[in-house]
Amino acid sequence: MKLKLNYLLFGCFMMTSTATLFSQKDYQTNSEITSNLKGLVAKHKSNATMTSLTKTLGGENIWLVTLSNGKPENNPAMAIVGGVEGNHLLGIELATKFAENVLNNHKDILKNTTFYIFPNMSPDATKQYFSKLKYERQGNTKKTDDDRDGLINEDGFEDLNKDGLITLIRVEDVTGDYMMLKEDNRIMVKADTDKGEKGSYKVFSEGIDNDKDGKFNEDGEGGVHFNKNFTYNPPYFKPGAGEHPVSEIETRALLDFLYEKWNIYGIFTFGPANNLSKPLKYNAGKAKKRVVSSILKNDAKLNEQLSENYNKIIKEKDAPPSIANGGGFFEWSYFHFGRLAMSTPGWWTPKFKGDSIIKAPENKDANFLKWAEKEGISNAFVSWQEINHPDFPDKKVEVGGIRPFIKNNPPYRMVDSIAIKHTSFIVDIAKMQPSLTITNLKREDLGSGLTRLTIDLHNSGLLPTHTEMGAKSRWLRKVNVSVNLNKGQEILSGKKRQVISKIEGDSTIKLTWLIKGKGKLVLKAGAPQAGTKEITINL
Amino acid sequence: MKSYIYFLILIVLGLLPYNMEAQNANDIFRAAGSPHNPKVKVVFNKYYTSEGLAEIGKQIAEAHPKLVKRKSIGKSTQGRDIWMLAITDYSVGNADRKPAFYVDGNIHSNEIQGGEICTYTAWYLTESFNDVPYVKNMLKDRIFYIVPTINPDARNNYMKEGNTGSSPRSGMIALDDDSDGLFDEDGYDDLDGDGSITSMRRKNPNGNMIIDPLDPRKMMRIGPDDIVTTQRYEYLGGEGLDNDGDGRINEDTHGYYDPNRDWGWKWQPDYIQRGAYKYPFSVPETRAVADFVLSRPNIAGAQSYHNSGGMILRGPGTEEDKDTYNREDSRIYDAIGKKGAKILPGYKYMVTYKDLYSVFGGEIDWFYGSRGIYSFTNEIFTGYAYYKDKNGDRDQAYMANKDLLLGDGFTNWKAYNHPTYGEIEIGGFKKNVGRATPGFMLEEEAHRNMVFTFYHAHHMPLLTVDNITEKSLGGGIKEITAIIKNERLMPTHASQDLKNKIERPDYISISGAKVLAGMIVDNDDFNITTEQKNNPEKIIVANIPGNSIVKVRWIVKGSGKVTVSVDSAKGGLASKKQS
Repeated sequence: MKLKLNYLLFGCFMMTSTATLFSQKDYQTNSEITSNLKGLVAKHKSNATMTSLTKTLGGENIWLVTLSNGKPENNPAMAIVGGVEGNHLLGIELATKFAENVLNNHKDILKNTTFYIFPNMSPDATKQYFSKLKYERQGNTKKTDDDRDGLINEDGFEDLNKDGLITLIRVEDVTGDYMMLKEDNRIMVKADTDKGEKGSYKVFSEGIDNDKDGKFNEDGEGGVHFNKNFTYNPPYFKPGAGEHPVSEIETRALLDFLYEKWNIYGIFTFGPANNLSKPLKYNAGKAKKRVVSSILKNDAKLNEQLSENYNKIIKEKDAPPSIANGGGFFEWSYFHFGRLAMSTPGWWTPKFKGDSIIKAPENKDANFLKWAEKEGISNAFVSWQEINHPDFPDKKVEVGGIRPFIKNNPPYRMVDSIAIKHTSFIVDIAKMQPSLTITNLKREDLGSGLTRLTIDLHNSGLLPTHTEMGAKSRWLRKVNVSVNLNKGQEILSGKKRQVISKIEGDSTIKLTWLIKGKGKLVLKAGAPQAGTKEITINL
Repeated sequence: MKSYIYFLILIVLGLLPYNMEAQNANDIFRAAGSPHNPKVKVVFNKYYTSEGLAEIGKQIAEAHPKLVKRKSIGKSTQGRDIWMLAITDYSVGNADRKPAFYVDGNIHSNEIQGGEICTYTAWYLTESFNDVPYVKNMLKDRIFYIVPTINPDARNNYMKEGNTGSSPRSGMIALDDDSDGLFDEDGYDDLDGDGSITSMRRKNPNGNMIIDPLDPRKMMRIGPDDIVTTQRYEYLGGEGLDNDGDGRINEDTHGYYDPNRDWGWKWQPDYIQRGAYKYPFSVPETRAVADFVLSRPNIAGAQSYHNSGGMILRGPGTEEDKDTYNREDSRIYDAIGKKGAKILPGYKYMVTYKDLYSVFGGEIDWFYGSRGIYSFTNEIFTGYAYYKDKNGDRDQAYMANKDLLLGDGFTNWKAYNHPTYGEIEIGGFKKNVGRATPGFMLEEEAHRNMVFTFYHAHHMPLLTVDNITEKSLGGGIKEITAIIKNERLMPTHASQDLKNKIERPDYISISGAKVLAGMIVDNDDFNITTEQKNNPEKIIVANIPGNSIVKVRWIVKGSGKVTVSVDSAKGGLASKKQS
């Protein structure tokens, strides 16, 4: 019976994997991701498990895929988080493909490292990409009063040109402050009166002012935005922030999990923050305030090193500046959780290089459209099309704009190579992880049953056992060293149990004990995030 | 019938705090201000465990079904119910829409008086309802949500296990304080079995203390120029053992986290704000309170009881949160806080961050910052109470222990053979002295704190439709002007609320005529108005200020009498038909 079931599962896996290989042309839906991961885990049973942390209000599972040597808690671990932003389908793919790549090509790394992979933290929102009406939804299914007027979801989008996409509307109006961009007159920009520019359009998101408050689409199905729902610098009362930090089922479930996994030394986020293309900069003033808002000095050096490695593997230049809107997950993972924190969007629009005839555009949307044209992406822009708009009966109103999702998510054919590079980078970091060893054991017989033991407790990893921030946190365990005595043994000098705050990368701490007695004793040293070693010594 | 039998059984089993002496109404003479023949017999010169408080709450609810609804708002870490009593005159108005006053106690488990003060408040409101018109009026217009203990597990731990007057403070979720991978493995040990963790001292020829020659209970520090002619001692800290063999004593006791650093306003992690747990409302008890408060937008005032020191505290909790409060808020807080300082002799009205210390993620800061609810923390009991004397020094606890408590509350020093320290002595003040109010003063302190909350609750917004006038504009059209009055100090929206649109605006509606236009009257004398173009029959006003009015006007068609209603989340409902 069980065998049959396995056969069946295996068959399913073969089918889905074939589908992945030959027909996947676009980003995968939640159910496709789920079934692919299930297949993958079934194929690598001894190294992979998959569990649902919780279900969102929208009924979607928050999946956790654990890659390990079979005993996940016994090794230092890195968490990998995708779907941090609901419009970032790429992040979900990169997290998912990381699991695939490790299991298929880098299994050896699991000997010493555990990966906790959360492919999609915004599954309610990412559904919008696949629905009839596409817009860049960020929030979950929680009912929210985004404009805080006492009414819920009273003014959402409307697809006025019936193309299944929410873009923009522009209204010809001398009182408007938008104008066409000179480089590319499809793009609307704010007129700058300081430069002698005058606006002649009003620009809104596509829809009707349903509640007649003068604002367009300010309170649709907003929901709570995963990447605004954390405790670092939270955007109180702003749309998507949630009633308070960590208010949502999925954010709570994730943190409840992470806080109980003492072996996690690093968190890798696929999201809008980017401390890898360019490292975070140390600012003494901000680092020394009691509410710390700069990376700490030693961690900044670590970040520089990580960034150097990243830029060697990910060669794309011109990454846009890192984005932090408050309440972000990446900022939480460093400032409040104290772990080695890494984040990248994974991809950004390459800079279109001009030539003698076509000038390189300065505006980033114009750059995007030029790049899209070069790549043969024909549907990047929804051309402006005149419509009748009930709010502007006597005006010329047009619908158009850059297609939703397309700026943050490259054509699907590019995803595999991006995933391979990011997998290599993460695997390289895992090879640097803190790793405690007990070496250079010295036994000096002082006579009369006295032995002096000396060891080097060595961190053979290039990363420290604790980031400078982590060393401040109660949620990253100190290095514990203990001597388990047997009958008739006694410690005359040295500690039976002790804790050590931190051991830097490739650094050593010397420890010594003076023991009276004979026979075996066991020496144990380590921390969950840096590995624990045990040696038996014969006195 | 059934509950009567149950009651009898409980009395027979001795489970109820039932006084056996004759309390025939004829034998009692009323003392002013106190219920003289209450239905629920309860004594306020002692403290009750969580189960004790729950039982009294149950009795109050059963004795006064028309005034009390009792509900569990959630479960504690160890699975106890967190009981809430919703008290109002249920025969008048819509209970859920009356401006509400929230009050809780015991967030810090060792700060126990809140449990009794809350219970006293519930008891007093119900037992005085028929005798004191002030109470009757209060319950006509307001509802009280009373949660005597929001830390029931650790309240019991404080009372039943070996503790100091300052422990546990935390809740009962085990944490690894010394980062050794073990959780709560080295707590206090009540070596002398007196129920309290007192001090350990040891004779030591090189010690830096001596026994006060005039009071053997007391230890004195030796100064640099003192010539010591008597036995020297050293202090060895609170009673305990090195349970985990790490060379330290009592370094990982219950908890430790601070439930009052777990709230969702300006929360900071443990390395910035010691005591923070994982994230806002990660402690089940505080989450239960937050969920309850969020489900009751009518809460307009709140009170939290702590001990000790005699303080009436308000936010901001930190300097970083200064800008959350403005001058208008200070005016309201000052009016209530200063009245409190008068009602509560020995108490000072203070601002937490300026006058006490910095608190990120505190309860009352969340009430105000996140919900716009005016709220105070009272630190119950101060040494002033012993001799009603501001100038009492630290020695007065020793004096009072002798003069007032007749020695009860101090464990005299006694020899003990300690496994690590050898021959030592153990003794000191018991856990119920210093912070907890002594029994004979408890009822007074409960009463004074209660009336302070009544003053606060009295000044929550109270709305009426004061006056409706009409003026004919000819052609069957007329102008209706209504004045909405807020008779009390607090606005329907605090400044923080207005700044961030926390609570929805207030609605003023008209019915009984066809509305052509509606407007807010900004200045009647100069006819300055702001028209509301959409839905003019329901005028939206951002706020109805305290001790003030809002004027609205409609242009209507029709000849009938109109009705004007106001609907405010924190200000409640009111309406009036044109006469």
